[in-house]
Amino acid sequence: MVNEQTLTGGALLFDVLQQHGVQHVFGYPGGAIMPIYDALYDSDVQHFLCRHEQGAAFSAVGYARASGKVGVCLATSGPGATNLITGLADALADSIPIVAITGQVATAAMGSDAFQEIDIFGLSLACTKHSFQVTDIKDLPKVLHKAFAIALEGRQGPVLVDIPKDIQLAEITCNTLEFSELKNKVKLPPANVGRAIALLSQAKKPVLYVGGGVGMANAVDELREFAKTTGLPSVSTLKGLGAIDPQDENYLGMLGMHGTKAANMAVQECDLLIAVGARFDDRVTGKLDEFAPNAKVIHFDIDTAEINKRRFADAAILGDLKINLPALAIPLTIEDWQQQNIKRSADFAWRYDHPGENIYAPSVLKQISDKMPKNTCVTTDVGQHQMWAAQHMLFNDPSNFLTSGGMGTMGFGVPAAVGAQVSRPTDCIVAVSGDGSFMMNVQELSTIKRFQLPVKLVLLDNAKLGMVRQWQDLFFDGRLSETDLSDNPDFVMLASSFGIKAQEITKKHEVAAAVDEMLDHDGPYLLHVKIDAKDNVWPLVPPNTANDQMMESI
Amino acid sequence: MNNYQLMIKADDKQVVLERILQVARYRGFLIGGINATVNTGTHIGTIELFVRSERPIELLIDQINKLVDIKEVTVENDVSQQSRA
Repeated sequence: MVNEQTLTGGALLFDVLQQHGVQHVFGYPGGAIMPIYDALYDSDVQHFLCRHEQGAAFSAVGYARASGKVGVCLATSGPGATNLITGLADALADSIPIVAITGQVATAAMGSDAFQEIDIFGLSLACTKHSFQVTDIKDLPKVLHKAFAIALEGRQGPVLVDIPKDIQLAEITCNTLEFSELKNKVKLPPANVGRAIALLSQAKKPVLYVGGGVGMANAVDELREFAKTTGLPSVSTLKGLGAIDPQDENYLGMLGMHGTKAANMAVQECDLLIAVGARFDDRVTGKLDEFAPNAKVIHFDIDTAEINKRRFADAAILGDLKINLPALAIPLTIEDWQQQNIKRSADFAWRYDHPGENIYAPSVLKQISDKMPKNTCVTTDVGQHQMWAAQHMLFNDPSNFLTSGGMGTMGFGVPAAVGAQVSRPTDCIVAVSGDGSFMMNVQELSTIKRFQLPVKLVLLDNAKLGMVRQWQDLFFDGRLSETDLSDNPDFVMLASSFGIKAQEITKKHEVAAAVDEMLDHDGPYLLHVKIDAKDNVWPLVPPNTANDQMMESI
Repeated sequence: MNNYQLMIKADDKQVVLERILQVARYRGFLIGGINATVNTGTHIGTIELFVRSERPIELLIDQINKLVDIKEVTVENDVSQQSRA
């Protein structure tokens, strides 16, 4: 199909975005990206003005993770571009497909230390899957199409396209539909299905270890069918939560540093570990040499580089999970092992009988989880509240729990919720945050206000950098260094100044009604929950320790 | 410390050398030397990269192979040499 037309570089950008189905972008204008923002003026693409480029990047990440589409963010040159970097790094660590467009000074000025000039192309090397700098308008259509293809191909990730101002202004007559296939796709070796079937058949104590790759591969149905057919006891990584049905009787919860005792014990005792879209992250394995010490490993992945990276795979199954999981779905005879794990899961079930009148954060999150609508999407920031959310809230799909897993980026939760709400306007979006993280992108309350996004903000406030304080108490002799946040602002007043309805609660008996009021409210809402500064996240596997040596209290 | 010599074929694209060097450094390989040429007819570059590390070379090969512009990575000498460096 021929679709020749003459466009400026800026107009071409939006033409290509629309060809890729992009309806929404997140960004912040500035000098070197003005021609693109001028073209936006005539475009049907809806722009969400964030109040910091990092907010725009995280909104694009939240949008992508909640919807399965590519997220797009825009920023100007220099500081605008560098402010995107944390979001790009976060997307790279969690394999999230986003396309970041940055303005650059005109090509004639590049390399002259011009105003707001930075080598974002160079800076992008370590925090993107790939990046481009366009120095000829003739290259722009192909580069933009390639950016989307690369973001989505194989293991997904962020792609940056840096466009100098003169290229944005230049005109080109082209067929904007032209697009060539990616040339250098990684060739995957054949899956070792025979070896994997033999390992599965011989195993007496196998465990299914589910990672974020399942959701990224859109293979939740195939995974659940695999789990059902095999009857495998299963555990999940932080980013894998929601892939296994949390009501599955063989599901043991999250494993790793703050995993459940049942999950960690099962993995430590297993004789076969079936890793699916998981990468043996250090927060999962604890002391690597003592992780699942008796287990052989079957490793399903799309990324060759993850095989044998941190743990030898006895059978590597590289490729599309939607194809490979059904190939290994065979019934297993492991009733004794199943019952052992079901019993252990019941024996170590969470308890919410926290003494005293102070609010117990896990109980608040449990109540929200029980009451929130079925397809609610929860975002979190990073710290104690994040781990409590992972432990005590239940998710029926990985796209309903958005948390910064690999990078562990404080400030993720609120802008990610913005992106999630834009992508899923009729679904309930809940952002769970801590008082430290909340302040890191608090300016995005203005984005929530501007677009009247009905995001529910749950702020668990212990007036501390809680997780760091917990580690200082446990592992640094209680020497509390720079973790006191007792000079926090009045959060209810702060939310009110952004036109967001807010309520503060301090006692247990207030929780149920406050949660109801928040969830029933039509617009954005902040529930400010004061919690005990001494509450810790348990269990905890201390650093460089095997996962079966977890601390459960002090 | 093991020494390796990699032969890398890559499309002649922007910053492809920087990407290879960045990956090598980040993944724990010290760079001992590099020779690079481009076939101006095919626009394919050939990069001879000398690295040393305690880590298995497969870790670096897999990571370089993931770069978008890379066509092929082979180890020319997979016989490890002990370095005094």
